[in-house]
Amino acid sequence: MNTDHRECDITGMVERHIMVAVDSSDNARRAVLFVGDFFGCYDGFQVTLLHIILEPEATFFRDNEERQKWLKKKRVESKKIMEEYKHILVDAGFSEDKVNIRVEIMRAPSVADCIIKEQEVMKCCTIVIGRRGISKKEEFIFGSTSNKIIHEARKCAVLVIE
Amino acid sequence: METQAVNDTESTYSFSQLQEMIAAYLGSDKVPRRFKIITDTSDFFRVDYNDVVILGSVPYLMRNYAREGRFGLDDEPKYWVRKAINLINKEIKIIKLVFHEEIEAHIGEMVFKCVRSPGKEAAILDLVAGHKNFMHGISIRDTAGNIIRILDFIRGKGLDDLISKQAKNHEEFFYHHLPGYLSVYGEMVKAIQFIHEHGQKHGDIRRDHIMLDREKGVYRWIDFDYDYYHEANMFGYDLFGLGNILIFLVGGGDITIQQLHANKSAVVDKLNPNDMNIIFNNRVANIQKIYPYVPDALNYILLHFSNGANLYYDNTEQLLEDLGEIGINP
Repeated sequence: MNTDHRECDITGMVERHIMVAVDSSDNARRAVLFVGDFFGCYDGFQVTLLHIILEPEATFFRDNEERQKWLKKKRVESKKIMEEYKHILVDAGFSEDKVNIRVEIMRAPSVADCIIKEQEVMKCCTIVIGRRGISKKEEFIFGSTSNKIIHEARKCAVLVIE
Repeated sequence: METQAVNDTESTYSFSQLQEMIAAYLGSDKVPRRFKIITDTSDFFRVDYNDVVILGSVPYLMRNYAREGRFGLDDEPKYWVRKAINLINKEIKIIKLVFHEEIEAHIGEMVFKCVRSPGKEAAILDLVAGHKNFMHGISIRDTAGNIIRILDFIRGKGLDDLISKQAKNHEEFFYHHLPGYLSVYGEMVKAIQFIHEHGQKHGDIRRDHIMLDREKGVYRWIDFDYDYYHEANMFGYDLFGLGNILIFLVGGGDITIQQLHANKSAVVDKLNPNDMNIIFNNRVANIQKIYPYVPDALNYILLHFSNGANLYYDNTEQLLEDLGEIGINP
């Protein structure tokens, strides 16, 4: 993907660049539908669909074969959902060349850290993310990606889709 | 009866050599007549008392297995964790064989999948070599490639055993014993920060996973082979464990609704759901409501782990910062 992300300049706008952070969940799908509904009929926007696959340490797996199997499964899942999400956006009015797909396999303490890092690299104006609607207990133990992004993302807007 | 051995592969020691080594440790009258010499530990149920396991050319005489200390599984044997004697230098070791277990961890009403990862524990052992607040040991592969951990034996008790019956009442415990334990606690949080900073999680933080090493006079984290898949926050579960230990310490033990009812405590009427532990809803987290002399700044930390919390600790740095506010600066 050879996108010049510096085009996204809020003050002297050339083209607005929206990042939609997705996974295979329903809330991610809702976030994609929202972006299609809201921005699909306007020119001057490009969208990057970002899927971070957080890879556990190699020691998490019994052996390398199990690890490769896990990664393959995640890649196949990702390819399928990204194609589906791209169709949603194209159907909503985005031209194909304005919808970028980016799948990154990373190791990090949290998905939110990876999304924020990618936003900084791509200089997107807006991060769109679906809210999982997890319980307070789950958030306490496992954390909340959307909450972390709201608190830690800088120099961009954050849209959290219920 | 003739003595004999059953070897699963070629051993670097003959049966009679091993008998001599065992005799030097146990005494010649206690040398087992039959034992296996094992170099492939894949089937850990095959490893019996008195067998000799050869790891990295060192023969280890197998002794008893460990038992689970976890609540609800008390005393269940852990066949893959064995006390053993290094027959070269006669040191006592704990040998953890490979058990690829996938566990459904139940925390309150939540269920999530954990795995036992020998590789993770081996990586942390390397990381914490020389760190006084962790168990020490080495990892080595047996002839089948299993990652075996050979751990230094710690003589001493778990933190949970140490806290009970320290004083005649809570107030005495609070003023005379707790300050020392809080200082230890700060040190142990700092130790967890050390592994977090190196991209590792403990994975099973519990009060009985802190041992007082009586010989060295230091507290050590033990058992870090649990691993789980994280997405939003790698350290959340460790922080939950640290919170539970702090609540336990400040309360001088767990304070449950059931206990308060049994003691016909008037405090029960003052408690509301927000005062309870966020996950274990029968345990009181707002200890100040039970013991009013618990200072605000300390209780404020405890409330981060209560049902009423709107703000959680994301990392150990934040917890250490608040501990610093009450004079705990490890």
